This record gives sequence, C-alpha cells and structure tokens, in this order.
Amino acid sequence: MAQLELSGVRKSFGATHVLHGIDLAVADGEFVVFVGPSGCGKSTLLRVIAGLEGVTGGSIAIDGSDVTGLPASERGLAMVFQSYALYPHMSVYKNMAFALENMGFKRDEIDQRVRRAAGMLRLTDYLERKPKALSGGQRQRVAIGRAIVRDPKIFLFDEPLSNLDAELRVATRKELAGLHAELGGTMIYVTHDQVEAMTLADRIVVLQAGRIEQIGTPLDLYNRPDNLFVAGFIGSPRMNLLPGTVARQGIVRLGEGGHEIACETGALTAGATVTLGVRPEHLALSETTGLPLAVELVERLGGESYLYGSSPGLPQITLKLDGQSGHQRGDTVFLALPSAQLHLFDETGRAIRS
Amino acid sequence: MTGPTPTAPRRDDGAGASDLIAAPLALLSRLIDWPMRAIQRVIGERRMAYVFLLPNLAFFGLFVFVPLIINVVFSVTGGAALFPSQRPYVGAGQYAYLFDCGSFLDPNSCREDHFWRGVSNTARFTLFQVTAMVLFSLVTAVVLNMRIRARGFFRAVYFFPVLLSPVVVALTWKWILQRDGLLNAGITSLGGERILFLVDPSWAMFWIVFVSIWAHMGFYTLILLAGLQAIPADLYEAAEMDATPRWRTFWRITLPLLWPNMIVVIVLALIKGVQTFDEVFVLTGGGPGTATLMVVHYIYETAFSNQVQNFGLAAAASVVLGVVLFALTLAQLAASSRKGAA
Repeated sequence: MAQLELSGVRKSFGATHVLHGIDLAVADGEFVVFVGPSGCGKSTLLRVIAGLEGVTGGSIAIDGSDVTGLPASERGLAMVFQSYALYPHMSVYKNMAFALENMGFKRDEIDQRVRRAAGMLRLTDYLERKPKALSGGQRQRVAIGRAIVRDPKIFLFDEPLSNLDAELRVATRKELAGLHAELGGTMIYVTHDQVEAMTLADRIVVLQAGRIEQIGTPLDLYNRPDNLFVAGFIGSPRMNLLPGTVARQGIVRLGEGGHEIACETGALTAGATVTLGVRPEHLALSETTGLPLAVELVERLGGESYLYGSSPGLPQITLKLDGQSGHQRGDTVFLALPSAQLHLFDETGRAIRS
Repeated sequence: MTGPTPTAPRRDDGAGASDLIAAPLALLSRLIDWPMRAIQRVIGERRMAYVFLLPNLAFFGLFVFVPLIINVVFSVTGGAALFPSQRPYVGAGQYAYLFDCGSFLDPNSCREDHFWRGVSNTARFTLFQVTAMVLFSLVTAVVLNMRIRARGFFRAVYFFPVLLSPVVVALTWKWILQRDGLLNAGITSLGGERILFLVDPSWAMFWIVFVSIWAHMGFYTLILLAGLQAIPADLYEAAEMDATPRWRTFWRITLPLLWPNMIVVIVLALIKGVQTFDEVFVLTGGGPGTATLMVVHYIYETAFSNQVQNFGLAAAASVVLGVVLFALTLAQLAASSRKGAA
C-alpha cells in the first residue's frame, strides 16, 4: 500500500501533447478511477505512473520518494492489462509465479503466495492449465492474481473489463470491489465506462484532452459537476443540456417559447448566455403547465421508461419515468424542472454556484 | 457575339491503355467460351474443376512425377544405355554397391568412397552452416526488430542477397577469394602473405559455409523477424512490470514464443543444406580433391560428368537423398502444423 503524488506531469509524443500538467494525490488504500472519452490520455497517464512511458515534464512520487526516473521494474507496482498479457506458453501457476522468481523469492514462499491468490480468485483447479484453455473471465482473474501475488505498492488496472461480455463484466466488477475491500491496497483503475467508475471508485478523476476536468467522489461528480463536460459525461442517460439566457436574477429563459425557469443564477446579469442542465431522472411530468415536449420515441424497459422528445428551440430532451409509461409517439407532455436539481453553466461552461 | 467553342472529346490515356489489354482478352474469352461450354455439357459442372487443374497436373506429371519414376527405374538397372528398355535389371545392386562399407564413418572403407565422402562433407557442411545460420539469423532478427536508426535500410540490405542467383553470389565471392582476388590483394597490400582460401581444404570448407550463410541468411532472418513481430508488445510490458531482467525476458518470453518459427527455420535450412550444389560447384568445384564434394555434386558427376556415365548409381544415390529430404520435409510439415495449432 502506498501514496502516489503527481506534480505537473506532462507527456508528449513528438509534437503531440497528450498530458498537460497533471496534479493529483492518491491516498494510501484509495481506489481512484481515471475516466474520460477515448483519446483523453487516461491510459497514457496510467502508463506514465507504471513507468512504461517516460514523462516529458513534472514528477511522480510514491510514498514521498521521487520515482520519475525509475524504470517500471523498480517502482514496485503491478499492472493488469486490457488484453490480460498472460504468457501463453506458461501455465497459470507459472504466470503467477514468474514475477516472484524474478525477485528471487524462495520456492516455498512462491508456492504459498500463488496458492493463496489462486484460492482468493477461485483459480486453484486451473493452476496447471495454459491461458488458452481458460475462459475470458478466468484469464482476467489470472491477470489479477499475477498482480496480487507480488503484494505491490499500487495496483494499476488498464480497462481490465472491456474484453468481457456484459454479464461477466458486472460479476467481475463486483469481485474487484470485494478484492479492494479485502486487500485494502491502493488501486488506480482506467475505464471509459462511467458505470464502472461510479460503482468502484472512492474518487473519480475525469479527464479530457489530457487535462483533469474534475476530481471527486462519484456522488460529488453526479450532484455537483464543475463544468459542462463533467455534467454531460457522468450520468446515464446523459444530462439534458438546454441553452438559454438569464431573464433576471434567479430566472432563466429557455427555448423559442421563452419558458421561464426558476434557478440559481449567481452573479450573472440579465441577458447572459447560459446552459441549463437537468438529469433525465430529475424531470417530472406536469399536468398542463411547464416546458412542452413533443414525444418522438418511447423506450419501455419494464421497470422504467425513457421518453425522447423535442421542444421548440431546444435540443432533444430525455425524460426518465418509473414504471411502464403509457405515452405514445406524437403526444405532447409538459415538464416540470425542479429548481433544486438544476445545474447552470455560464458561457465558458463553468458551473454557477451560489 | 461568339458562342462557346466546341471542344473535342478528351481521350483518357489510362482507359485507352486498359482497352489495349481488355480487347484481346475479351476476344480470347469469347474464343474459349464455346469449347468450355461444350466440355461442361459433357462432363457436368462439378467435374469442371478437374479441367482447370489439368494443365498444371500435366505439367507437374511430365516434369516431376515421370522423372521421379524414371529415376527409381534407373536405380534398379545397370549399364550405360540411356533408354530403360535397354538397361539390364540389377535389383538392389546399385544400393548394395553404395552401401558396401567397412565402416560408414570412414569413407575410405567404402567401395564407392566418393559418395560417402560427399555424405560426410554434406553432413559437416550442413551441421556448421545450419547452426551458424540459425544463430546469425536470430541475432540479426532481434537487432532488426529493435528501434534502431535506418532499420528499414538494414532490413533491405540483409535480405538483398536472397534475391541474387546462387551462381552470381558464388562468382562474386570467387572474385573476392581466389588466389589473386580482392581479399588477397588487401592482405598483400598490408604486407601479409597470400592465403589460398579456395585451395586449402579447411579454408575452402569455411568459405563455402560462410558464402552460403551470407546468401541465404536474409530469408531465415525474415521468417524470424516475422515471428518476433507476432509476439504481442504487451507481453514485454508485462515482463517489465514483473521486474524481468532483459536476458531472462529473452530466454523465458521471446525464445519460447519464437520456437515454432525456429523449428521451421532449422528444418528448412537443413533441407536447403543437404541440397547444396550450385554455390559450391562454382566456388570450389568440390575441391581441393574431394574436400568440399557434396552429395548432389557427386550425383551430378556420376551421372553426367565422369567419363563413364553411371546413371544407375547416380539414380540410386538420388533416391537415398530423396528419402532423407522426404523425412526432413515431413518434419517441416509437422513443425508447421504444430505452429498453426499453437
């Protein structure tokens, strides 16, 4: 277990700048998830921490010691790769024992560690098998086992569930959460799947174009997004982002109909261009007043329904309802926007808070 | 007022060129259309595949299968006549003559000592050549797989000799190695004594092995390079995270994963080594004496070059060589199929 501190970490590949000065502190035993769209630099950041890529600038410290110049082999970290990266010619046992042999552990100690990890990961019956004789989920567990046996300072996970099918992904996600609770190690996990991020993380780091957009607990990011990017990225279905203008203090005007919504406008003056954010699950139906919505599509999932529709002058709006909605395409409904659950962003995309 | 100037239709040169090819082809296809339809009507659509295979099969039969049979027939006949009908049947006599040895390890104790000298030379040549070639090819492939400057240039340079005819290779090296060749010119200009590279028996064997490696290494390097590039990069990253020293990464990760390619390279090099003829023939002519006489060279001389042309004995030696090559080919096929299954 260890602490990690990144200070102004920059990484460029030739003229392409991938990371633009990342500052981050990860506490001992914390589970931190890097999340962001493809190409945002999250995997590069993980590889930089691992030592598989050098930095262009800045520093990396583990437990207070600068490891920026150390090769991956000397940082004491373990990584679980997206492709599992199991040695195909070695048995499960050999795969898990290989790093320990490199480190000069005695045979008894190696055997004890491998069998303990195999027991935790339900791999004891497969120790003599080669990776090709295992299922995807079993291979993933071997990759995790290979990391566990080393008792590393920090576990690094690079999109470890992305090659699994949906059902197995959910099961393995739960196993990972249980493993973190059991081992208590510091873990850094990269994913583009926000559900994985929300369910696993103590803290989430949202990245975009090589910069940190926001760091916080999953519910922090959900309840109080700092900017439009985080607001749109966290939450599924994504938050409705509606362009409007400040009519007067505490009132925002939306769409062609000039529908007025009560909302905290901070120090913004009348006429300021804003974006109003409201999550699909926070919209409610109103009888005859509110923002009109022409229903274009209804998705009924059994326990919940999604209505997709449009309102004059506004982009498509998504509404989440409990149960099985009776609405049909072509219906017009009215939406109530509860002011306590609205998010307002200024022209630059920054959240307006009181 | 002037109207728009009429323009002549533009001729597309590319289309013109393709017309030049397409028109005769279209004519040809019309010409063969009728007979093909007629054949199909007679034999049915399913058997048409054999019609398409027939030209190649006929060619293969005429130039490979028939000579193979004739060779076996010659190997059980004697005399100097060319036509099998005029050759007396001797059964396994030619083979008995070939294998009439006091000790197979001592060519002097054999009745046909040149054959066994050829076998001995070929075995020594193949052992040295294959061992050295596989090692050099492996090292070269590993280096060419690294991120080195001008990698593409070096890859082309190492492959280039493969494209040359063996006779061109041998003549070039003969020009370098002969008594008044380039190498001796260099040695004498530095005050040294001329060395008879192609006349001294131990030097002659060294140089035919060297030239053979120089000529063929690029091909085997290419196979090994392809194998190295097929090893996923993330395995090396995992090894790095596992604190694996570089030499151990090579022994425990690279070599085992490259082994199927290595087997193919070894067996192919063995087959090629046993068949060696042209480079040695041009470079040393099998000499000095019989110091570099190879089996294939012996077969050629026995059949065509000696004053008494002994087709039967040469054919028997060919059959023996063919059996060895067949065994090696089976080994290569087995290795390839294991590689495919891996």
